[in-house]
Amino acid sequence: MNDPMRSFYRVLLALYPSRFRERYAADLLQTFDDRRREARFSGLLGGLRLLFFLLTDFVVSMPMALERTDRSGGDGIMNDFLQDLRFSVRMLLKNPMFTVAAVVTLALGIGLNTATYTAVRNLLLAPLPGAEEPDRLVQMYRRWPGLEYGANSIPHYQDVRDRSGDVFENVAAWQFMPMALSADGRSERILGMVVSANFFQTYGVTPVHGRAFIPGEEDTGPGAHPVVVLGHSFWLTRFGGDPGAVGSSLVLNGDPYRIVGVAPPDFGGPMSVADTPLYVPIMMLGQIAPRIDLLEARGSNSFTTVGRLRDGATLERAEEVMASVLVQLREEYPSSYEEQLGTTLVLQSEAGIHPSFGSTQGAMSAVIMAVVGLLLLIACVNVANLFLARARDRRHEMGVRLSLGASRGRIVRQLLTESLMFALVAGVAGLGLAKLATGLLAGFRPPIDGPWRFDFSMDGSVLAFTFLVSVAAGVVFGMAPALQAARSDTVAAVKGEGGGTGGRSRTSSVLVMAQMALSLLLLISSGLFLRSLQSAMEIDPGFEDPSSLVMASFDPGLQGYEQEETQAFFDRIAEQVTALPEVSSVTYTNDVPLSLGSSDTSLDIPDYEFAENERRNAFYAMVREGYFETMGIELVEGRTYTRADDADGAPVLIVNQRFAERFWPGESAVGKTVNDRTVVGVVETGKYNSLGEDPAEFMYYPQRSAYRSEMTLVARTAGEPEAVLPRIREVVRANDPNLPIYDVRTMETHMGTALLPARLAGSVLGIFGLLGLTLAGVGIYGVMAYSVSQRRRELGIRVALGAERASVLKLVVGEGMRLAVVGAVIGLIAAFGATRLLQGLLYNVGATDPVAFVGVPAVLLSVAALAVYLPARRAASVDPNRVLKAE
Amino acid sequence: MSHDQALERILPLTSTTFHVLVSLAGGARHGYGIAQEVEELTDGTIVMGPGTLYGTLKRMLANELIAEAENPGDDGLHTERRRYYEITALGRSALSAESDRLLRAARVAQERLSS
Repeated sequence: MNDPMRSFYRVLLALYPSRFRERYAADLLQTFDDRRREARFSGLLGGLRLLFFLLTDFVVSMPMALERTDRSGGDGIMNDFLQDLRFSVRMLLKNPMFTVAAVVTLALGIGLNTATYTAVRNLLLAPLPGAEEPDRLVQMYRRWPGLEYGANSIPHYQDVRDRSGDVFENVAAWQFMPMALSADGRSERILGMVVSANFFQTYGVTPVHGRAFIPGEEDTGPGAHPVVVLGHSFWLTRFGGDPGAVGSSLVLNGDPYRIVGVAPPDFGGPMSVADTPLYVPIMMLGQIAPRIDLLEARGSNSFTTVGRLRDGATLERAEEVMASVLVQLREEYPSSYEEQLGTTLVLQSEAGIHPSFGSTQGAMSAVIMAVVGLLLLIACVNVANLFLARARDRRHEMGVRLSLGASRGRIVRQLLTESLMFALVAGVAGLGLAKLATGLLAGFRPPIDGPWRFDFSMDGSVLAFTFLVSVAAGVVFGMAPALQAARSDTVAAVKGEGGGTGGRSRTSSVLVMAQMALSLLLLISSGLFLRSLQSAMEIDPGFEDPSSLVMASFDPGLQGYEQEETQAFFDRIAEQVTALPEVSSVTYTNDVPLSLGSSDTSLDIPDYEFAENERRNAFYAMVREGYFETMGIELVEGRTYTRADDADGAPVLIVNQRFAERFWPGESAVGKTVNDRTVVGVVETGKYNSLGEDPAEFMYYPQRSAYRSEMTLVARTAGEPEAVLPRIREVVRANDPNLPIYDVRTMETHMGTALLPARLAGSVLGIFGLLGLTLAGVGIYGVMAYSVSQRRRELGIRVALGAERASVLKLVVGEGMRLAVVGAVIGLIAAFGATRLLQGLLYNVGATDPVAFVGVPAVLLSVAALAVYLPARRAASVDPNRVLKAE
Repeated sequence: MSHDQALERILPLTSTTFHVLVSLAGGARHGYGIAQEVEELTDGTIVMGPGTLYGTLKRMLANELIAEAENPGDDGLHTERRRYYEITALGRSALSAESDRLLRAARVAQERLSS
């Protein structure tokens, strides 16, 4: 009979437990044949009905087949497993303290790994949420000497878009821009996005309501398309999710914009860490950023350009096309393209947060993954040790089971089932911990202004990761006790004897060394990072007494003020704030130090020859008179600015010392020319973007001749700085109630946010280090104490045979410490190797920092000494008669 | 275990067990025969697949409600390979107790419905 249904049923039968199968297989098959002959189960349709019938029958009958109807031993591997599982649960409940200790230790290890994995995956590895086929998206950057990832100007973008159709379906451009949003007579500043008309098509995003911008129409005619597409969460919070919002309008920078669409909920914009509130077409740049003509300026690079590869087009092909586009452009606009070296293409999937963080973001996450991985290993060693100690207590039980005929394989399986159960319970607890940790992380806001959104949702891959980690952990810590149990001598075990006659077990020696080595590696690495952060925090920021400085930002240009009105407004506010009794001096800058985002510009210095590939850009800020005096930045040479340094005066510039020393070493910088301006002063070098940065060249332009409308007022106060903040707010509001005023804060708060990444990293590593130290301390104590206590019997005999207690003590402590020292040496060698790799990430600390390399081993070896001494003393002082009688 | 204790442990019967016992009360049958009769008795509401059938029989054997019977040997094809089952004394008591219980329940139900 060649019935496929029958062959299928035979396969199904093989899945029943062997005892049930042996007894009933023939009858089952017989019944199948009988059924098959029935009219309803014959033919093709009947066969399908039978298939469904048999599958249901199989599932329903499995529990009955598994049921044990007699008491005579095993019933196939499934039944063994169920029995092991029942037994494991009983053991877990019987020793609640043990269970809690082991589960908490493991859950910490697993939870930290899951949280870190989630963060790394969502920030760096996940493709852009909401975008269609993100693998085909390519980010494009202009490459200059010393600048790998340069932004793009609008004219450049338009030429690239029009000339690269061979490889790209679409090329879009976008940039975040501040805008004043007015509603109910009040204005607020939001960070919206200016995008090319084909932006949504390029990312493959279809609005949930209304439409996207229309390519070919809404990317022509400057100022002709006051339309806006809303981000989904902005639409929910501001319009209550009303679809009728489409077609109504909102006011940006004083002009009405018609809402034409709403982006879908899963698309937060082109950066995965930001949630864009609204999108405006680039043709409206003249209204959004009136001060600069971005639509025309080929050299004003501020946009990110993204292309969608055509089907079958490769990155290599795109690079060739971009190279030939650059050759064309260089011929047409020689002055704009003379210095551009090429175009850097980065696949969206490999860009991370920003490609310029590239190696650092990868390396940092690798370090953190390695650190939490080590923590988990240490937790495993601890739990293995707990299990080992308990295995000793259960020696008798194991011995009895072995001598009653249980196979060693069966016992090993029982113990592994137990440890896997443990690991899975700990995995679930760890998942909870990870959820908690990522919840805290998602609330983190970086100190750079922006609509940040951190999405640390966990999906199947996180669950799979946690499951794998848990199972791996279960096997790692379950192996040692299981193997030891399998090796144990039945007779000795039943009689309740200690670890045989051979002294310590090899398993526990290995554990002592492993614990020591792993702990050292972990603590030295995180210790080095902490030292590095510590030295970064003690740095002089380059200006005086931050504790009495306050600041407030506003941009009259957003309210439609012309340049003259804006300057007059700044003067008026400065006057009125200076008049406040608590304020001693007032100034303006467009870039408060340590804001993390200084602008840079290309340098033109007549008497200096740039080498090929030499960095040609320098950071700059626009400041008003009184800046250096108010901030307390020391003047080294020349003069500072006055009100006379305006558009009518001679073009002047102030540079920092680092700048002067690089370009005119050994000479006076005053009188030299930079970018057609004459240097009139040199000030001390400070910190501009972060406290950890290397000294950088910096230029200060006088704002009165290098106009910017978005400025930050900085005031030095005499009294309580916090009290001055509302007074400044009142002054600005009294002059223009509609002008959005933002970032009103003390310099200390500002620096706090600048220090936030360092503090955050410091506290995370600090917590990891502390956790590691606790786990390591407890672990080393446990492992050592256990291995000494294993020798109680032997020590008792030695004392009974007349050995001096002191010499016994010395022997035990000596042996224990030898193991600890060997472990420490292994750990030191590993740490020495590992920290070489970290060198590039450390600031102002050598990779062989003596504090970390001497301090950490000293602490751990002391713990080890204590751990071996206390139980050894107890063992040596015990009455030999009692130890020997204890059998 | 005494007869009564065993009964107490088994009752009330699941409807599948009940109907298997009813079919066997009419004489010894083989597995497929039982399944067919149960289906008939319940107007096709209980259709037992092979696994359910032998899983139930295995459980009932263990509870001593049924026992294996001699093969009468005159059942046509494959007769020698078929295992036959018959009802035990415990099975009869269980069936009688269960049918009494069902009768009482049915009577109460009808009284209330008619009043």
